[in-house]
Amino acid sequence: MEKIFRGPWTVPFGECSLRLDPLNLVFLAAIVVLVLSSAIYGTGYLRPYRGKKPLGIHAFFYLVFMAAEKPAVRQAGFIYLIASHCATFFLFLMFFLMAHAAGSMDFDVMARTDFPQAVAALAFLLALAGFGVKAGFLPTHIWLPYAHPAAPAHISALLSGIAIKMGIYGICRVLWIVKTLPGWCGYTLLALGIVSGLMGVLYALGQHELKRLLAYHSIENIGIIAVGLGVGLLGRSHQVPFLAVLGFGGALLHVVNHALFKGLLFLGAGSVIHRTHSGEMDHLGGLAKTMPWTAGFFLAGALSICGLPLFNGFVSEFLIYFGLFTGLRELPPEGVVACSLGILSLALMGALALACFSKVYGIVFLGKPRTDIKTDGTPEGTPFSMLLPMAILAALCLWIGLVPQSVTGLIFGGGTYLAHTDAFAVRLGTVLGPLATVVRMALLFLALILGLVLLRRLFLGTKPLPVRETWSCGFVAVSSRIQYTSASFARMIVELMKNILLFRRRGGQVTGVFPGKAHMKSSVHDASEEMIFRPGLALSNEISKKLGHSRIRYTQLYLMYILLFLVFLLIWKLK
Amino acid sequence: MSLLFNKAVTFLLHWLVIGALSPALFGVIARVKAFFAGKKGPSLLQPYFDLAKLFRKKCVYSSTTTWIFRASPVVSLAVMLILSLMVPFGRFRAPVQFPGDILLVAYLLALGRFFMILAALDTGSSFEGMGASREAFFSCLSELALFMNFITLSLLSESLSLSRMIGADIPMSWKGLDPVLLLVVGSFFIVLLAENCRIPVDDPDTHLELTMIHEVMILDHSGVDLGYLLYASAMKLFLFFAILVSIIIPVRTGHPAVDTGIFLGGVLAMAVLVGIVESIMARLRLNRVRLLLLIAFALAFFSLIVTLWRN
Amino acid sequence: MTPWIDVICILAVFLSLTLLATHRIVGMIKIFAVQSFFLGLVPLFLHGGIIAGRDLAVSLVTMVLKAGLVPAVLFWELRHISMRSEVRPILGLGASILCGAVLIAVAFWISLAMKLPGKLESSLVLPCSLATILLGFMTMVTRTRAVTQVLGYMVIENGIFLFALSLFDTMPVPIEMGILLDIFVAVFVMAIVLNHINEEFERTRSTGRRPRWGES
Repeated sequence: MEKIFRGPWTVPFGECSLRLDPLNLVFLAAIVVLVLSSAIYGTGYLRPYRGKKPLGIHAFFYLVFMAAEKPAVRQAGFIYLIASHCATFFLFLMFFLMAHAAGSMDFDVMARTDFPQAVAALAFLLALAGFGVKAGFLPTHIWLPYAHPAAPAHISALLSGIAIKMGIYGICRVLWIVKTLPGWCGYTLLALGIVSGLMGVLYALGQHELKRLLAYHSIENIGIIAVGLGVGLLGRSHQVPFLAVLGFGGALLHVVNHALFKGLLFLGAGSVIHRTHSGEMDHLGGLAKTMPWTAGFFLAGALSICGLPLFNGFVSEFLIYFGLFTGLRELPPEGVVACSLGILSLALMGALALACFSKVYGIVFLGKPRTDIKTDGTPEGTPFSMLLPMAILAALCLWIGLVPQSVTGLIFGGGTYLAHTDAFAVRLGTVLGPLATVVRMALLFLALILGLVLLRRLFLGTKPLPVRETWSCGFVAVSSRIQYTSASFARMIVELMKNILLFRRRGGQVTGVFPGKAHMKSSVHDASEEMIFRPGLALSNEISKKLGHSRIRYTQLYLMYILLFLVFLLIWKLK
Repeated sequence: MSLLFNKAVTFLLHWLVIGALSPALFGVIARVKAFFAGKKGPSLLQPYFDLAKLFRKKCVYSSTTTWIFRASPVVSLAVMLILSLMVPFGRFRAPVQFPGDILLVAYLLALGRFFMILAALDTGSSFEGMGASREAFFSCLSELALFMNFITLSLLSESLSLSRMIGADIPMSWKGLDPVLLLVVGSFFIVLLAENCRIPVDDPDTHLELTMIHEVMILDHSGVDLGYLLYASAMKLFLFFAILVSIIIPVRTGHPAVDTGIFLGGVLAMAVLVGIVESIMARLRLNRVRLLLLIAFALAFFSLIVTLWRN
Repeated sequence: MTPWIDVICILAVFLSLTLLATHRIVGMIKIFAVQSFFLGLVPLFLHGGIIAGRDLAVSLVTMVLKAGLVPAVLFWELRHISMRSEVRPILGLGASILCGAVLIAVAFWISLAMKLPGKLESSLVLPCSLATILLGFMTMVTRTRAVTQVLGYMVIENGIFLFALSLFDTMPVPIEMGILLDIFVAVFVMAIVLNHINEEFERTRSTGRRPRWGES
């Protein structure tokens, strides 16, 4: 299905037309759901700010204007602005290149063009660079963990759920336009996805701030999506349409899923911050008792993002895994190696995400409060207008998890569209059948849980059970501060990876027989920021400083430069 | 209708087998360890008595805990019951098999683990938090090794379903490719020991040692809840044994009774083997466990390389 | 008898890998002895199971020398020089295993491109011997103790032995025996030298770098 609306007016370099095709349908679905929920959420979340702040349209303005008095937020806004501009630079190059080869700026015309191999490869690389910055691939992700936590929660949800997906959409669009990509493109995308996914989740494990952790998790999910797209591309370039549809379809479903559960998680984090005025996990604890609804919805989001059965994350990861395992059989040896690496990294990402979200949920919502959390005393403290969007998103996560058939049409439509193949040529039944069985097993699982709960009720009777303090071998906690913290929970994994994560630890040594107070600070630093961008920035500062010395400060001289350049252009073009 | 009835019967049969036989494995292991220690040892039926005792007891809950703490035993047991439908028992194919069921198996295990970790953190005790942290860490490594094995088996059997990977096609593989399967078996055995918290990794008999991983997480569970957890861990052991036995002894004589005997004998032998390992080995230091799991990973990786190299 | 040679090849590589993961020198020597023992079995399976006199001789000499005498010398040396029995890796043990796994992959990948003059008993011999050699090198590179250097060297020799055996028909037995003897003498000399070095430097060595967390 494809609907095109052409405007009756012209714009420079082409005509104005809007189109709805299977690809952008998927993205639009995610946008509509998440924007609506965020808008409802915003009415509750922004109540304290109401009437005070202007609201802009672009994400940059949201970031800067909402809390511009904080230097960190201003910095985040600038970093985002710079990253966007860099991305746009690459995209301009890419579109000019493609337009030059196709002779038109119209996507339809481009899609009908057969690009030469070199142009196709260059366009792919430029798209990766330009849209990769937007999507947050490693190592150009560094703006993301600054920008996303700085915005208000529902805007963070939109930034993570939608804004970075526009990068993915751009890559998908280029994949759709350029049909004849060289074989290595699929491997590149797969490798990029593996690296982004693994590093994203590892960095996330090292974070102690709730929204920053969620932001890093977005990088992981973008990685999973890229793995899916890479599988699809491999299938397309090796003429295995089934594989292509599986990979693209799984990636597209993960786009939708990620929008849903990451939106849900950011909204949940917003509720926590709204209530406690702190996003530092090591200050929180025991919120499941005071905010039962938020805790429940957040759990749904955590189960989804870990890709656990019953929820939507499992369905999309299942499709991508299925594609990778199919690739083991259908691809040549180098493809088999790539697919094996993909499977392993997905498995590792899953296990690490599980560690990460059991940490988040366990530290923030379970146990005892680690500090005196200032709450206003009401039982839930979250307005209904904030709970409702979370409920909607959680319900959708569960819905896709239990009734995946309701979305398979949509996403495989997008998949076949991207794969440039005939939908009927692809044996989709081979994956839809297993998916249906998965769902049946999930329902049986729920029935078993119900049965076991009833059995337990039978054993225990209906009398109230005794409630005591935590036993733990008689080891009585002297203070709730002694509980495991997010830093100590993640320590073993982070220390294993300390060379990659730039794990730093200061203090923590106690001396003497009766040691006094000691402080310990551990942090994880972004390697690509510390090793690539900061030195790069320092270098460019150095260079521009040198240039600055030689600059002569007369306006007339600049005017002369412009005049000379104009003359040069005129001669070059008109000669 | 009769199809549904047949299905229900096979489901119940599988549940009956695993429900009735799995606790005995703990009894066998305890007996082997007692034999090595020169003691008489408890009766083989002792685990059943323990379970019966626990099911008659009430639970005590900490005031810190939430519903998650109560949910985790139920989820664990339900996960094992579902898994027992997807793992073949010797010649008896799994009642539920479909391409990609290995993913459901792995992720259901992860679901149970997720709830166990949350339940441990729910008590607010740093002791149990420690166990939770370790479980999260080691499961990352064992999951990696597990998936590596799945890849190799999938390549060997050209299939995506557990029942086919370790089922009928293995005898052919044993004839031609034995070293690869040897590596897979070795790697899987280490994963088995780690996932079931047996001795070189974790000691199921102590709670107070500093290397504890899984056992410390269930410190605060009591009564029926603890019974559920114990039952679930017995079933988990049985399921891992079943997979390993199906790889090692892929005999299909055609006689149901003989095949069943071979399968159960294999499971019994596995229990004895684990008992021997527990008797002759000390528990590894915590930072060596990581190495053990990495070796399991390297073994599986090696098997994959050899498989790829042959193709 | 190819399956048996395959199994031994795989075992040899696996044991070299575990050598990288071992943190005690005693353990390393034992693993080396086991590896040598299994490699000593290879000649028996070479000619379709027919055991000729010289096969038996090679097998016996190898086993006695490498699985018996060399470990015995190393053990004697360990006892004689009262030093700490822990290896001191430059690279953590976990990272060594992962690097080792990568090296195995590299060995298999390279061996795809290698062409040999003779026909091999089993297709696995070439990549496995290459992998053993590389892992031996890895042991030498990442361990700082002198004894571990010797062990790494011996593992390399085992790899060469495996490779040479598979070309058994083209390689005269005396040469192989000569190599073996050379190695043995080398180990012996090294033991004596070590003994002297140790007496001199025992104090300075024990004040070396403090071990990091996770490496003992």
